[in-house]
Amino acid sequence: MAVKIDSDVCGHIENCPVQGLCIKLCEQGAIIEEDGDVKIVPENCDDCDLCIQNCPNQAISKA
Amino acid sequence: MFKIERGGEEHRKLSYNDAKCVGCGICTDVCPTSSLRLGPLVPIARGLIEMDLISVNVDSCVFCGLCSVACPFDSLSLEINGENIKDMGNYPFWDVESKVDDEDCIYCGRCYSVCPRDSILFERNLPDPVSLIRGEIEIDKDKCIYCSFCADLCPAEAIIIKNKPTSSVDLLNNTIEVDLSKCVQCGVCKRVCPENAIKQICSTCMLREEISIPEITGETFIVEDDCVNCSWCSEICPVDAISITKPFEGKLELIENEAEEKICKGESCHACQDVCPCNAVSIVDGKSVTNLDFCNLCGACVTACPQDLRVLTRTAMNLQNINSESWNEILNTILSGK
Repeated sequence: MAVKIDSDVCGHIENCPVQGLCIKLCEQGAIIEEDGDVKIVPENCDDCDLCIQNCPNQAISKA
Repeated sequence: MFKIERGGEEHRKLSYNDAKCVGCGICTDVCPTSSLRLGPLVPIARGLIEMDLISVNVDSCVFCGLCSVACPFDSLSLEINGENIKDMGNYPFWDVESKVDDEDCIYCGRCYSVCPRDSILFERNLPDPVSLIRGEIEIDKDKCIYCSFCADLCPAEAIIIKNKPTSSVDLLNNTIEVDLSKCVQCGVCKRVCPENAIKQICSTCMLREEISIPEITGETFIVEDDCVNCSWCSEICPVDAISITKPFEGKLELIENEAEEKICKGESCHACQDVCPCNAVSIVDGKSVTNLDFCNLCGACVTACPQDLRVLTRTAMNLQNINSESWNEILNTILSGK
């Protein structure tokens, strides 16, 4: 099912208070950095929702 | 760490020690003015964010001290005119304990090695091993050919041989010595010596009655300030020398709901394991398993679980001396669990 990121709310690494906390939290490689921005790799997502719970901008939700 | 103060007729100071905090959130739950906030547990536990677990809104805090008496881990303290309210006698206190009985402790050090908070100070004095061994060893230097068989085979590495001349002048300047502080009189050197140059007698067995049983002394001490009453030490102690009173009684369950896709993701997530101050959570066969023997029912894992699968039920708490009815009402909400 994976997750989606609300691009309007997301800090896009540069403006994220923790410079991409979701990338650092996800150990499945389902959220990665690509060209300086956050990218979701749906096939790696295990639906643990750790990123949803911890996003400082509340930009992540279920896809 | 924070310290906030309010002057006036009474001088009140609220201080918070992050080193003692486990992130249970009890203080935030009981604060009547919602002035305390619990930070992001998992990112802090994983070291991704450096911040205190608890922050305070100094503008709304009324310095009532409820948070400080509710905290089972003594992270928060309220002082009125320089005196901690927990020392005043008329405020509630946690009747918890973590103590080592010196009479019973045999200084095995197991508690020290398992304590998840490094809150046990431990040292022991072991006897000199030489005092437990009787024997004699002598090397006949006239017979020794410095072949090093004995030194290479000595299990205690007790034989030191110098047999490599550094110049033609000291060609014959070989030495062989036995370090008696290491020698265990096993006799390997004697048996391997091709020149029969080593005389060795082990008399430990025949003199065993004479060799005194060693007394092992030491000290094991739980620093209560750092202890979270998890019980690892008392559970592992082979002689029941440690008594721990936990703050709560109750249970913690993992309740999945497959229909709503609320399922523990185990290794993918392990948020519960990371935030647990007691090292009570393991991931077994892809699921979180909590050993209640080691759990102090703090509830940090309940907050951290992104799937909201953990149900904490507290049936009793060791918070004593609640004299005010309104405080009793608020403090009893801690029992409702999460």
